Amino acid sequence: MRLQIERDAHAENLQEIRDFIETACRRAGVERSAAFDLKLAVDEACSNILEHGYAGQKPGPIRISFDAASERVVVTIADQGRAFDPKNVAAPDLDSDWEHRQIGGLGWHLIRRSVDSVSYESGTELGNRLTLMKMTPLAKASSGAE
Amino acid sequence: MEITTEQRGTVTVLSIVGSVDGMTASAMVVSFRAQVSSGNVHLVGDFTGVDYTSSAGLRALLETVKETRQRGGDLRLAAVQPDVLRVLELSGFTHILKLFPDLESAVASFPA
Repeated sequence: MRLQIERDAHAENLQEIRDFIETACRRAGVERSAAFDLKLAVDEACSNILEHGYAGQKPGPIRISFDAASERVVVTIADQGRAFDPKNVAAPDLDSDWEHRQIGGLGWHLIRRSVDSVSYESGTELGNRLTLMKMTPLAKASSGAE
Repeated sequence: MEITTEQRGTVTVLSIVGSVDGMTASAMVVSFRAQVSSGNVHLVGDFTGVDYTSSAGLRALLETVKETRQRGGDLRLAAVQPDVLRVLELSGFTHILKLFPDLESAVASFPA
């Protein structure tokens, strides 16, 4: 099955985007903890787009598509903001004590830990495109006719 | 997201209900900062009603932990739900935050 949503890059749309992922996961038969991971990864990716991608300009669209088939969920997130390749993001410090721990910089870490693969392309016909893939069993009863 | 504040002896309890994300985390930061600037540094975040946090919530928590500990206090969390606990674990926050199973034990962990 394939579902899509498009919203402007405003923080007040994050809840609706998470609800979209949750509903899509339920319809696809994605088990609960995998659905939470996908929701977190998509929220973090969209938060990055609205904080960095569209920084200093009018918030543009974020287009999300959700595909589930063969024990695999693929979510693509497209935007037309500034290109931002996650490969260039440094790994965060997770071990320092509270005095030395940096505030922030955890978004991409959470994305990488929540899904099985992350790929990024800029300059596509849709603009920038982040693809998140997670392997997860899909309940047969929910596969439906789509 | 809703935040209610209650004083219990020397401890200020902030009960948070809802999801903490890039939209709502700022309200949590404002509430925590207001307590710290009033001199209340024995803080408990009652997370019974928090069903979700993104890294925006983690920033708010770490900032408040630093602010309170630098003043001899702390921010401690009570009743963190499994999904939120997972985000804390993935981020290495369970090593720096003091977590308690319920509100009573979190409040009692501070000197009276």
